[in-house]
Amino acid sequence: MSIERKNTAVLKKDKSTNELLLEVKNLKTYYPLKGGILRRTIAVVKAVDDVSFEIRKGETLGLVGESGCGKSTTGRTILRLLEPTDGQIIFDGQDITNVRGTSLRKMRQDFQMVFQDPYASLNPMMMVGHLVSEPIRNYNNKSEKELKQDVLDLLSKVGLPEDAYYKYPHEFSGGQRQRIGIARALALRPKLIIADEPVSALDVSVQSQVLNLLKELQDEFDLTFLFIAHDLSVVKHMSDRIGVMYLGGLVEVAEKDNIYAEPLHPYTQALISAIPEPDPRKKKERIILEGDVPSPIDPPKGCTFHPRCAHAIHECQSVKPILKEVKPGHRVACHLYK
Amino acid sequence: MEPSMPQQTSPGLAESAKPPKSQSPWALARRKFLRNKIAMISLVFLLIVCVMSVLAEPLTMPVEETAKINLTQMSKEPSAEHFFGTDKSGRDVFARTLHGGKTSLLLAFSITSAVIAIGTLVGAAAGFFGGWVDNALMRFTDFMMNFPFLLFVIVLKSIFIESSTGTLIFVISVISWTGTARLVRSKVMAEKENEYIMSAISIGSSSPKIIFKHLLPNVMSTIIVQATITLAAMIVAETALSFLGFGVPINIPTWGNMLQEARSPDVLTSKWWIWIPPAAILTLTILSINFIGEGLKDAFNPKSNR
Repeated sequence: MSIERKNTAVLKKDKSTNELLLEVKNLKTYYPLKGGILRRTIAVVKAVDDVSFEIRKGETLGLVGESGCGKSTTGRTILRLLEPTDGQIIFDGQDITNVRGTSLRKMRQDFQMVFQDPYASLNPMMMVGHLVSEPIRNYNNKSEKELKQDVLDLLSKVGLPEDAYYKYPHEFSGGQRQRIGIARALALRPKLIIADEPVSALDVSVQSQVLNLLKELQDEFDLTFLFIAHDLSVVKHMSDRIGVMYLGGLVEVAEKDNIYAEPLHPYTQALISAIPEPDPRKKKERIILEGDVPSPIDPPKGCTFHPRCAHAIHECQSVKPILKEVKPGHRVACHLYK
Repeated sequence: MEPSMPQQTSPGLAESAKPPKSQSPWALARRKFLRNKIAMISLVFLLIVCVMSVLAEPLTMPVEETAKINLTQMSKEPSAEHFFGTDKSGRDVFARTLHGGKTSLLLAFSITSAVIAIGTLVGAAAGFFGGWVDNALMRFTDFMMNFPFLLFVIVLKSIFIESSTGTLIFVISVISWTGTARLVRSKVMAEKENEYIMSAISIGSSSPKIIFKHLLPNVMSTIIVQATITLAAMIVAETALSFLGFGVPINIPTWGNMLQEARSPDVLTSKWWIWIPPAAILTLTILSINFIGEGLKDAFNPKSNR
């Protein structure tokens, strides 16, 4: 068993080299809440609070967590669609945290995004042909004929018919629209694609088609994915490694198999135990979490999870645990592991 | 005969199997608008008024002729020679109504274009960029809003005493764009929260491109409807100013200048043909513009099924 696992690990290393593509260090994204006549900052929403991780070339890092835990904000901050409050984003060896203006626009061709809502993320007034050619137009001076050929290639890559070129977004179903979104993200041949819950708005039957498309494209174009989702089975299908987020912080990062076989953080354990089991004869112990997710405006002191944690010890109430490696390649932010 | 049947039907089947022609949101709105009877009647009426006004000279007489005072033809009732009769100075009312329409409509269309252009640019920039740009532009808009319309126009007209139609267009445009700017700003602010704007940023589109290719087409329906409202309002404004004597110079025929004659009780009570024609056409024109605006609003609204 252990030999087998080692083998798969070696295989993965072949696919995803050890070279880092993205390094996120202590990333923080805070939103000030302004109020009163003087528009003073009365509170700060800590949407992303001190998150660090890295993605190797060619791998897929899945990011899971409940809604509102800061997954999407993390993704958008990395792409510099939102301003980071603090921390560092290093992409392909280059610090992009403070790049601005034209140079930022130039860099955008290397990292793209697939959005969550296929209905809101496509301009309803634009023909699909124009939607897909827009990223190419932004960076290349190509003739209309070349552009059209490029777009038709992309459409066939994502499994859309040629006549989609002259249609408008409202003429497509959710899954097809998501394919348009993927074609758009793919148009510039980026190195990194951040997929922000790309299938959560789709029917279950369509979800797997889109997920498999993403996988095929990853192999074909050597893509690296940051895959954001709240559905654990979807993340399991897609990812090589998985990061679990809770209330703006990363609580556990590990290889996919490790995290499913041996979740360390109490929150991850609760999440994994909640995955529905298709075999009815198999008895499963579900960990039911008490209470709700606290507000990110006023997160609990110490470990943000301690009010809901069954294993909380005295230390959890006062000291914030930091993410540290407790096993090779398995990092967790919890006082129970030292 | 029978074996040829399937052959005959197959091309028909292939035809129907073809995907329906692509439907741009604009085409959908246009179809809805064309089905709206009141709006279409209004559009036809407005077009007739516009065409007749533009063709005022070939249809009647040159504009210089309409200004000529003819003492032998004073206050004549409508006849075959003068369809709408003549006014107190013996000028042909029909010719003056057509020429007046030309001036009034030209004025209204010019002011509307300027107002919509300025208002859209200011509103879109303020709404899209936000922050200090928004603050600066909106405080400037508030400042411009503070000018009382009539007083401002009257004072400026008194300063530029040698004023022409052009001055009037300029003066009214400069202070009338504020409402449009605020409207466009609020629409743009709501629209830019959509994910497709973030998506446009992420694929590297520049800000002007995002404003003109993504935001404006999506708020265009609001802008078009606003344009019809402005157009109607500007015809009224021209009429009101001319009626008061602060509009277009009195020697140029406009609907407002013609209505001015109704200020005398004698004309108002016993010489109806002098003021009824311009008043009637004015009212109908404004009414039809409003119907068109209403029809456009309906056509652009995806929830209405008229």
